[in-house]
Amino acid sequence: MISAPVGSAEAGSLSGSKGAVAALTPSFDGVTPPAAQPPAVDPAVRLSHVTKRYGSGPLVLDDVTLDIAPGEFVCLLGASGCGKSTLLNLIAGLEPLTSGEIRTATGSLSPSKGGAAVMFQESALMPWLTARKNVELALRLRGVPRGERREEAQRLLATVNLAEAGDKRPHELSGGMRQRVALARALAQDRPVLLMDEPFAALDAITRDLLHEELERVWRATGRTIVFVTHNVREAARLGQRVILLSSRPGRVAGEWKVATTTGRRIESPEVAALATEITAELRKEIRRNAA
Amino acid sequence: MPRDTTVPRPSSERSETKDDELRTLSAGLDRLQSAQGELRPRWRTALSKVLPPIVLLLALLAAWQAYVVIADPRPDIAPGPLQVAGALGEAWETGRLQEAVLTSLERGVIGFLIAIAVGTPLGLLLAEWKPLRRAAGPLISGLTVLPSVAWVPAAIIWFGLSDATVYFVILMGAIPSIVNGLLSGIDQVPPQLRRVGTVLGASRWQLATAVILPAALPGYVAGLKQGWAFSWRSLMAAEIIAVGGSIGFGLGSMLQQSRELADLAGVLGTILLILAIGILIELAIFGPLERRMLQSRGLALGGDR
Repeated sequence: MISAPVGSAEAGSLSGSKGAVAALTPSFDGVTPPAAQPPAVDPAVRLSHVTKRYGSGPLVLDDVTLDIAPGEFVCLLGASGCGKSTLLNLIAGLEPLTSGEIRTATGSLSPSKGGAAVMFQESALMPWLTARKNVELALRLRGVPRGERREEAQRLLATVNLAEAGDKRPHELSGGMRQRVALARALAQDRPVLLMDEPFAALDAITRDLLHEELERVWRATGRTIVFVTHNVREAARLGQRVILLSSRPGRVAGEWKVATTTGRRIESPEVAALATEITAELRKEIRRNAA
Repeated sequence: MPRDTTVPRPSSERSETKDDELRTLSAGLDRLQSAQGELRPRWRTALSKVLPPIVLLLALLAAWQAYVVIADPRPDIAPGPLQVAGALGEAWETGRLQEAVLTSLERGVIGFLIAIAVGTPLGLLLAEWKPLRRAAGPLISGLTVLPSVAWVPAAIIWFGLSDATVYFVILMGAIPSIVNGLLSGIDQVPPQLRRVGTVLGASRWQLATAVILPAALPGYVAGLKQGWAFSWRSLMAAEIIAVGGSIGFGLGSMLQQSRELADLAGVLGTILLILAIGILIELAIFGPLERRMLQSRGLALGGDR
């Protein structure tokens, strides 16, 4: 099911060569030829030589270059302090870049002008609004006319299997349901790119497994480009079409794996386990490097 | 659903059943994880809330009456509940009681509404404009601690014995509380909610009205409640100190008048009346408001107990 991984250690050469080669080729590995992605397609998100440091502090992200194809499910994986959440905030336009460039298909990063939708680890629902009103708020801020909001919100809640919970308030919902409302809210933004910052990290394992399936279903149904940040190797192997390993301090692209067939994967599938084993080995190599 | 191992089904049908199964699983897990609220009859919860204070009140009155009957003190130093009730009844018949209650309530409510109208924009301004906050913050907190009665002598010199004196003292009591409540409410808005607002594309104004203000509501209502308490207290103090002139006849004036007549039953009766009005406003307005707000946000412990 999975293709052979890219020679992961030479990440520098990987991202370096990309700048030189035809600019529009996604950074897929050569083992499975990227037949599904004709080179004419503009990437949904393109990061070129992105560098970030806070004030005069140490480098958080160092020369990250990455193309994300439209409709792709990319997992950003790394240990704590690898700047993966920072990278997500940069793509979301919540923080300024130090140098480099990020371009989206819509051309704008600013959240008010159609950047990307974002989902956080905490659902961050407005506690005084019902589930449906929370989704409606996103619709309102997007500029959907008042008359259409209710119906649209109900449709979005049905997308995440929460059609009956629309009138409940966040505190009456379980953690998993809250994250699904947050997902519906993110979908309500109607942006092509959805950024997810460890959205399932605080959930119990049973709920998380189920939400993986829900998310995969929603992804297939809506065709969104998803950038999913996680520190859970299995989660990345379970969900991603492409898994990108970031090294820590500073964050660099340290490895990249492409999964050829993603249908029918489960957290317990042997191919997921095999991929996870391999990624873990690489991740540990990175962590070990920090000990020296 | 029997698992079919021999004949592969058409993929569309397979994904259909898979989606169905996912939906069933989701629904089951949701049901398991949602809290099942036990339903108690409404009248029983109401009864369990109303009964204890009434029983305590009756017990206190009984103890008071028992003391008067057993110890038989001088009635002008320790009047019994019956005498106090008699004094109140007398005030009712002469119309003084109604006049005093109406005058005081009217002033209290109008003064409090003005305080809200002034305090709310002031609080918003302080919360959003940091230099002003740094400059005026300590002053505002200081004014909350300063008893507003301290303003009465100055107000009398400025405004004479007029309603302006009374309103001035009420405002000095209530506005700092309201401002402080709103400030602490806004300070406690989780930064995550602001970020969500930004991510959803809210403008500065939308962020303030759709996210920050509703999120700050619990602190604001707490500030309003304290503001009301302060304005009611200040009003009573002002009415006791400033009597005569064009100042009408309020509860404080009635208290002062009874004192001058050495009518202890009347004094105690008025005190109980002031207390009762305070309790009534809390029960009728702030209590339900606060409870509903906290419940809707899941902040009230164990619902309504």
